Amino acid sequence: MNKWFKSGAPWIWMTAGAVSMSLVAVIGLLLLIASRGLVYFWPSPVYELTVEQFGERGTIIGERYDRELVPTERLTAQGIDIPEEQGDFVERFLFKTGNREFVPLDFRWILETDIVESTQPKDIVVVERLTNGNFYGYVEALVRDGETIPLADDPEHGILYELLARSRGLYDQSERLLKRDIGGVNYQLERLRLRERKWEMNDNLTEVRVAELEERREQLHADYLVLEEELFDLRRQAGRDQLIIRDMRGESVTIGFDKIVDVFFPNQMHLGQKIAHWFHQLGKFIVDDPREANTEGGVFPAIFGTVFMVMLMAVIVTPLGVVAAIYLHEYAGNNAATRMIRIAVINLAGVPSIVYGVFGLGFFVYMLGGSIDALFYPESLPSPTFGSPGVLWSALTLAILTLPVVIVSTEEGLSRIPSAVRQGSLALGATKFETLWRIVIPMASPAIMTGLILAVARAAGEVAPLMLVGVVKLAPTLPLDGNFPYFHLERKFMHLGFHIYDVGFQSPNVEAARPLVYATAFLLVTVIIGLNLAAISIRNRLREKFKTLDQ
Amino acid sequence: MITLNTDNNRETVLDLANLSAEQTALEVKNLDLYYGSKQALFDVSMKVPKGQVTAFIGPSGCGKSTLLRCINRMNDLVDICRIEGEIQLHGQNIYDKSVDVAALRRNVGMVFQRPNPFPKSIYENVVYGLRLQGIKDRRVLDEAVERSLRGAALWDEVKDRLHENAFGLSGGQQQRLVIARAIAIEPEVLLLDEPTSALDPISTLTIEELINDLKSRYTVVIVTHNMQQAARVSDQTAFMYMGNLIEYADTNTLFTTPSEKQTEDYITGRYG
Repeated sequence: MNKWFKSGAPWIWMTAGAVSMSLVAVIGLLLLIASRGLVYFWPSPVYELTVEQFGERGTIIGERYDRELVPTERLTAQGIDIPEEQGDFVERFLFKTGNREFVPLDFRWILETDIVESTQPKDIVVVERLTNGNFYGYVEALVRDGETIPLADDPEHGILYELLARSRGLYDQSERLLKRDIGGVNYQLERLRLRERKWEMNDNLTEVRVAELEERREQLHADYLVLEEELFDLRRQAGRDQLIIRDMRGESVTIGFDKIVDVFFPNQMHLGQKIAHWFHQLGKFIVDDPREANTEGGVFPAIFGTVFMVMLMAVIVTPLGVVAAIYLHEYAGNNAATRMIRIAVINLAGVPSIVYGVFGLGFFVYMLGGSIDALFYPESLPSPTFGSPGVLWSALTLAILTLPVVIVSTEEGLSRIPSAVRQGSLALGATKFETLWRIVIPMASPAIMTGLILAVARAAGEVAPLMLVGVVKLAPTLPLDGNFPYFHLERKFMHLGFHIYDVGFQSPNVEAARPLVYATAFLLVTVIIGLNLAAISIRNRLREKFKTLDQ
Repeated sequence: MITLNTDNNRETVLDLANLSAEQTALEVKNLDLYYGSKQALFDVSMKVPKGQVTAFIGPSGCGKSTLLRCINRMNDLVDICRIEGEIQLHGQNIYDKSVDVAALRRNVGMVFQRPNPFPKSIYENVVYGLRLQGIKDRRVLDEAVERSLRGAALWDEVKDRLHENAFGLSGGQQQRLVIARAIAIEPEVLLLDEPTSALDPISTLTIEELINDLKSRYTVVIVTHNMQQAARVSDQTAFMYMGNLIEYADTNTLFTTPSEKQTEDYITGRYG
């Protein structure tokens, strides 16, 4: 036994055990959020149930979302009759019944004992709508330009999909028109207003200028009217056709095609179609804008906001951190003051992130942003431009938050450069600055990248400070668009981390939000991993380039 | 038995104490050097003749490398180092405040104990000093690369892979590359700090032959702890002990008829 200890074998087992435990934790976490999140996009079967509750028979159509065992005792205590032979537990199911505007609850718990009959009829249709969530029922007829087409004339749903595609195309056009063209006109009108206000404040609003502005404004207004007409026309055309569906109450409901995102028949799909549908839904989740208070639709603005903000942060923190580390390591004397600064920097990394948020709000948003507004944007006051939370301030706050990481790893990298190489450069008549610039910094670049990787990983996952300095539940515009100057750093933005928090805690519809929380979490992890992999591949290339024999 | 430099059968043996100004590459005058409160060099004075190889020998810690590093002010990098006295190059004290250290180092090149190529291509290593001077003309650089690599007896081995990483070379090749890098900027004086101590015997031999070639164009000062090497490559030898310059004479004299007891003890292997 003693010999076994001395051989070092237990040590190896212990270390290997620690590694496998970490591995299991990481993989387990990924698997959990992946399975919970990604199942959301799978077209699950839709059931038609005949239910008998409190002596009344009813029909319910819906997807089964969840199941759990409830102690019989608890149910009896609530006054529900449970047959004797059920035993200690009764199973109950959570059904998503949709049709939000017609039923009080679109999620319903149903006891197994209440279900009289359960079937999966082939022709149940699921209609994904722009508002009010999914609609479940049976297609009764189509209305094409006022002419009713009974279901019998469209057994393969060819006409249905054709009408849907037409309507979707028109809808997309109208959205593009609204966002790009009409948004552009509004943006220019706003700029005109600001210019006028500026001239007014400087007391040089001459007659000529007023006339000029007026002319421009009329021009824009005329443009706007044309576009508006075009928009209404598109919308009218998109709303030309309707779908008539019989819902679980047995009543016919007419839904305009312009309100429909997607129509599918989950009970008819074979595996291939289901997989295709899954990818389709996943794609929509990634590229679409959120709807229905973030509980429906996609998360594209949040992905964009996260990546944009993190990249902006990286652009800010890298030069700042590297320059600071170079000063600390190369120029500052090795004395008490330097050591104090170094300790302070390292301790800065331990400050809770919300504190940075408070600092960012107080210093960047109110002080810096307020001053910028007073100096450069007095015409738009009292409504703030930079003086309110925005993506720039978020990036700056996170840059400060991650600064210690970059400084520490850059310093580490600088101290690993062999002094022989520095001396070699100095001996050739290079000044210290030339040596740093041509030899030392390139050789330290892998370490700088390591710092950046750590910074990005930390920043992308940070939510708390952002809630104070720029993140919002729903941002109407992205911080990057086609209007000059293209980057709008003062705008508020959406963030995946905050999106998780918002959907998970602030959602009006808890059950609908749960899978979205997992899906968004999975996406956030994927985005962070993606950013990290990009940085790691750059680092490896740099390492290869600057590798020396003794490394 | 020490083999002496075959080149030593010169017409006249230089009178090292009374070199004329033209014959002198550099002159050390009453140099004292302190590391903090500890004195490392004691009142060293010597004249290094132009176009010859001068070797510093002595036991470890005797101050020979320290003295060498004073000549291109590499000791400036050591914070606690303090220097009194003068080193004159062209009659000007290199420790004068008006001296541009970078310019001095362009004039006094240095090669270190261990090869220290930069993590760049062979080509970029050689032209590093030229690029620092702002030379961008491709033709000038190409010529300098060929000339320097030939000068360092490395051209034939690397001419086909000039743009590969310098770390792909062997230790001996790396050291010759470093010498090529140093002579690419045409210094007057070349300082070699135990240039072969990290190399195998064959590489050592190549470098020693190279040193013999180099002295036709540069004044070479070499530090070595290998007495045979000093005897083989140098024209003058200075023996140092405990921070003092004990004896400085032409190599032949120093190794055959040393005037100091300590020198004799050292070269006959009684200590060191």
